[in-house]
Amino acid sequence: MIRVQEIGKAYRSGRRQVEALDEVSCTVQQGETLAVVGKSGSGKTTLLNCIGGLERPDSGRIACLGENIHELSRRALSMFQREHLGFVFQFGNLLSYLTVHENIEFPLALNRVPRRERDLRVSALLERIGLGNSARALPGELSGGEVQRISFARAIAHRPQILLADEPTASLDSQTAHDLVQLMLDVVRDQAASLIVTTHDPVVIELTDSIMHLRDGKVVEESRTTVL
Amino acid sequence: MNSGIIGFWLRIASLFLLRSRRTTVVLSLMVLLSVSILIFLSSLAVGINDAMVRNSVSLYSGHVAGFNLAADLTPERLRIDGVDAVVKRIENRGLLQHDDRFEPVTLIASNPADEIANTALWRKISAGKYPQNGKAEILLSEYLSERLGLGIGEQLQFRRDPVSSPVTFRITGVYRTGIDKLDRGLAFCPPAILPDDNARWSAAIFLRDGIEVENIVRRYRERFSTAAQFKSWHELMPDLRQLIDLNYVSMSIVTFIVFGLVAVGVSSAFVIFILKNLREYGIVKSMGVTPFEIGLLIALEVGLMNVIACIGGVALGIIASQVMSSIGIDLTAFTSHNRYFAVSGVVIPRLTPYSLWVPPAVALGFGLVASIWPTMLVVRGRTADILRGI
Ligand SMILES: Nc1ncnc2c1ncn2[C@@H]1O[C@H](COP(=O)(O)OP(=O)(O)OP(=O)(O)O)[C@@H](O)[C@H]1O
Ligand SMILES: [Mg+2]
Repeated sequence: MIRVQEIGKAYRSGRRQVEALDEVSCTVQQGETLAVVGKSGSGKTTLLNCIGGLERPDSGRIACLGENIHELSRRALSMFQREHLGFVFQFGNLLSYLTVHENIEFPLALNRVPRRERDLRVSALLERIGLGNSARALPGELSGGEVQRISFARAIAHRPQILLADEPTASLDSQTAHDLVQLMLDVVRDQAASLIVTTHDPVVIELTDSIMHLRDGKVVEESRTTVL
Repeated sequence: MNSGIIGFWLRIASLFLLRSRRTTVVLSLMVLLSVSILIFLSSLAVGINDAMVRNSVSLYSGHVAGFNLAADLTPERLRIDGVDAVVKRIENRGLLQHDDRFEPVTLIASNPADEIANTALWRKISAGKYPQNGKAEILLSEYLSERLGLGIGEQLQFRRDPVSSPVTFRITGVYRTGIDKLDRGLAFCPPAILPDDNARWSAAIFLRDGIEVENIVRRYRERFSTAAQFKSWHELMPDLRQLIDLNYVSMSIVTFIVFGLVAVGVSSAFVIFILKNLREYGIVKSMGVTPFEIGLLIALEVGLMNVIACIGGVALGIIASQVMSSIGIDLTAFTSHNRYFAVSGVVIPRLTPYSLWVPPAVALGFGLVASIWPTMLVVRGRTADILRGI
């Protein structure tokens, strides 16, 4: 479960002060999905980064799986991230010098999953995303959509409880985007994980449980998708 | 921390190096060449030191000089383990006389065959030849022959003091070494020509290659009576000793400077390399890799590259110095006026533990230093900023 309570984050660049997040709160239960939408610059990425521990909010509290992640030590935060978190960014998720197989294997090795089990899990994931034949390819040899699917496979390989995706479908056609989101939802249901995805993509919005609108760092609307 | 996790990072580091082939090759080549060049240069420095010692020692004095040795102490007894040859010399102080000219001299009586086999003085004979055993023949320095106004084939007298009876010698050769001490009042004749030749004697003792001279001197001092004195070339030629130490010091300084520069080069190259792929390090951090592990990864990348480059560099350095030592490097053009190269200017590079281990060890040490800057760059940057490309 993810519980965000009134977090604020401001950036100062020169004289200008930007309120990237202002009293933002939200809760995502296990097995639930939340889409965060809003114009460019509304604070979506900042919110995800704060939840994932990549950035520290100025105020408020964030609890992931009951842990106050910004109160953890640096090392404990790293350990939390490698065990419970899966990130998908808009682009450039993969390590260019590792093959597809090695990229997906990376979080498993970090979590000390034994070799045989790693290989089994990676192969299963590759089958599931329809890239069973690309295990030994390097990221540079793949299309943007393929790379995004692999990034997703890597984000879920260690079966994290929390999935954070920042515009994962931005570079995909609607069919591929739909497949990818469907896959995410399957994982969320199967593993009772919580997913927060930022997006502009109607395909994504359609499939999530609830939506949160941000404007200039403030929550302007929150709704259950089914109600819309 | 267990070996499993080190193994994992080692694997990632080697994949990184393997798949960034071009950069790895260029950087390794830089390290490899510096290591091999420095190994060769230090083997050359050792070779130059050897040549100076060989020249200085082989011309006349030997590695160890023995003085005031009793007549019953035979050269055989001095030939202990590590000693190659002992030349027995009897020093006769006296006067050389021709007509009304007198010159003070130390006339060395020694076996011509021994001298020719072990010392290089005969190579410095500028006219004539070495005296023959059993004959009343004498070899003079050019200085003495000029002072006496005598040439080859002419005769002169030696006497221990103005009132003792003279012995007549025929001059067979004159020499000139370029070293003042030898070029002044010294002359050579075969043994058993002069009367009461059974006096105390001196020894020029030659050691085999690589034998530590101080050990031999210590053993002599333990073994023989206090009347006998032994001095190593270190004591006889402190200036040469210092010159050799100076050579080592300057070689070490050069090694450090070169690898300091190489380390800056490697470090900058890695920083550029990492900056180019900085986003990937942000991704790695977002997956929960600790700063320590990032430092470990980068150190392994730099370290592994250095180890491989050092192995290649050591191999190449060994080959280069072996090849050159089988040929020998003739530096006569640079040494002909130098008294430490009086006999020959040929330098034979020699590998020592010093010349073999210092370059790769310094390269590896600096390699680790080189990984600090790129590590700081990644660790200090906030993950969110790295991912935003700030
Ligand atoms: N490190 C930073 N320094 C200064 N300002 C920043 C920084 N990061 C974000 N901002 C500002 O904070 C605001 C929110 O940025 P954020 O990236 O969260 O927006 P976003 O909703 O993800 O936009 P987009 O849809 O374009 O990705 C923006 O105005 C941005 O300029
Ligand atoms: Mg964004």
